[in-house]
Amino acid sequence: MHSDIVISQSDSRPMYLQIMEQVKQRVAVGEWAPGDEIPSIRQLAMALRVSVITIKRAYLELEREGVIVTQHGKGSIVAPNPELSPRLYDEEFSEHVEKVARLGELLGLTSEEIAWRTKEAAKRLNEGRVSEAGMAKEIV
Amino acid sequence: MNELAVQFEGVGKRYKHFSLENVDLELPTGSIMGFIGANGAGKSTTIRILMGLVHQDEGSVRVLGHSMPAEQAEAKLDIGFVSEDMRLYGAATLKWHMEFMRPIYPRWDQKYAEELARRFDLKPQQKIKGLSHGQRVKAALLLALARRPRLLVLDEPTTGLDPVARVEVLSELMAALADEERTILFSSHNTLDVEQISDQITFIDRGRIIDSDDKEAFLDRWRRLRLVLPPDVAVPRLPGVVEVGGSGRLPVLTTDRFEPAMVSVCNELGAAVQAVDTMTLEEIFVANVHSRREQLTA
Amino acid sequence: MNYAMVRGLIWKDWYFQRMAILLAFLGGAVSLGVVAFGGRPGFTLGLILLVTVVVMLSAMTVMGNTIEEREKQTLAFVMSLPISYVEYTTSKILGNLLIFVPFWVVVVGGSVALIVVAPPIHGFFAFAVIMAVEILVSTCLMIAVALVSESKGWTIAAMVTGNLALNVVGYLVAHIAGIRKQMWGTAIYWNATATILVASEVALIALLLGGTFFIQSRKKDFI
Repeated sequence: MHSDIVISQSDSRPMYLQIMEQVKQRVAVGEWAPGDEIPSIRQLAMALRVSVITIKRAYLELEREGVIVTQHGKGSIVAPNPELSPRLYDEEFSEHVEKVARLGELLGLTSEEIAWRTKEAAKRLNEGRVSEAGMAKEIV
Repeated sequence: MNELAVQFEGVGKRYKHFSLENVDLELPTGSIMGFIGANGAGKSTTIRILMGLVHQDEGSVRVLGHSMPAEQAEAKLDIGFVSEDMRLYGAATLKWHMEFMRPIYPRWDQKYAEELARRFDLKPQQKIKGLSHGQRVKAALLLALARRPRLLVLDEPTTGLDPVARVEVLSELMAALADEERTILFSSHNTLDVEQISDQITFIDRGRIIDSDDKEAFLDRWRRLRLVLPPDVAVPRLPGVVEVGGSGRLPVLTTDRFEPAMVSVCNELGAAVQAVDTMTLEEIFVANVHSRREQLTA
Repeated sequence: MNYAMVRGLIWKDWYFQRMAILLAFLGGAVSLGVVAFGGRPGFTLGLILLVTVVVMLSAMTVMGNTIEEREKQTLAFVMSLPISYVEYTTSKILGNLLIFVPFWVVVVGGSVALIVVAPPIHGFFAFAVIMAVEILVSTCLMIAVALVSESKGWTIAAMVTGNLALNVVGYLVAHIAGIRKQMWGTAIYWNATATILVASEVALIALLLGGTFFIQSRKKDFI
């Protein structure tokens, strides 16, 4: 169970964030179900060759966000919380939107232009999906 | 049981061309500390004082509750030491060394020693002089680990190892920490390894400890802010800025006291924050050293 | 002091020098044979051979186990064991002396036995004993210098000095009134002069070894 978390050295984000994301993904996808036991801090530290303090921090943040629950002296389990998925992506979305706003300002775009470009991107994504589905229908 | 595996207070040592000054160090039991410094910064001297091999000129040193160097024999029963300038007996085999150490250390784990030999791909019947550098380092580590020490003191344990051997060694070091009473202190040039596995990090430069903190705290505190300044706006004054680089209109500020509020402060002053970069341990170390050295010459 | 550790360290040193020790033993046996069965010329020749073997052996062991620890960088390994300077110094002194002394006893015993057995050379008794202890002094000098200086150069100097001293002392003692008269005589003789000389040699040995311990304890940079 421990070795299926993989960290990338080339990922420039702080290690604890990478670990948090992978835990959240597993929960979101259902591999780690609510109430399941997750590796202890020390076990994960050894398996990933990452310092205990980093894993501890990741677990603390995950607990704060309500993703996991740490039982005193007994290790940690996935929280019985069904509202995880939206929160996982919502934060990331907000981060990216702020970045888009900053970059837009640098380029000298107005807020209307920034909003329009974003909308166009969403539209293109949707169109892509539709044509993919169309192609799939044709093949079938 | 002591809470601090290692404690240095005001330690000083004077040599003709180099001196260690005012070294304070605290290593809590169960943690792993990475010790980073340039060549000649004083890492090896500090480690030798820790082992009782060198007697400090001033200050007190306690290792596993023992006062050093007076109680070094007792302390060393629980310490595994591997250093760059240490050699095993070339004319003897690894097996001979294992047999030699076995009766000395009460917690010697022969099964673990044999398992390590397999994992490290070492043949115990081979003479030490026939081993490559990497194999010798692994052999020395095997002998240090097999005695199940409470404290591991390693001077450059991964230097000179190929990437595969490095990962093996790091895995074994982390595995040793499964026992919460075990502590590791290691010095290294390899900031990537230190960044990944250390709980605490200490920087040393020119015989002085220039910073010592929790690893995550280090990584949190240090940031590079990339700003875009309109023509008539000056570079904002922010706390803890140790370096200002970049160009006039695109300054890059390096700070060791980052707060998210700084971004809004910059924006309010008219300086657009284009990016807030985290820094690798290596970048932090170099920036730290440069700023200290500049302070001294200023 | 941890006697088990000292034993272990001595055994380790002997293990690494087993070849040298064996060869010296053989060389010593051959020399003894020459002394015993070589007649008059054999006696002197054999004795010289014996002394040479013994001196070389002590030189090799001292160099081998003390100087080489620093040269081959195994000193850090040894000092990482649960010992202090006390165990280290004791093991080197004892380890070297325990190799040397048996040979020395054989040499002395053999020479003394020959002197006692052959009336023409009875007079040499006192001289032989004094010189025998002098050899011991030279060896202790070498051990002391090797441990304290950890330098090949200084140890070689000590070896040369020891050898020189042997010859100088030999010459001087042979001409001291109290000894000279009896040397060429046919009686086994011992007198106060001889006692004083031997006593001062023993005192010198105690000084050398004690001094070594003292200096080692004061070393601030063991490595």
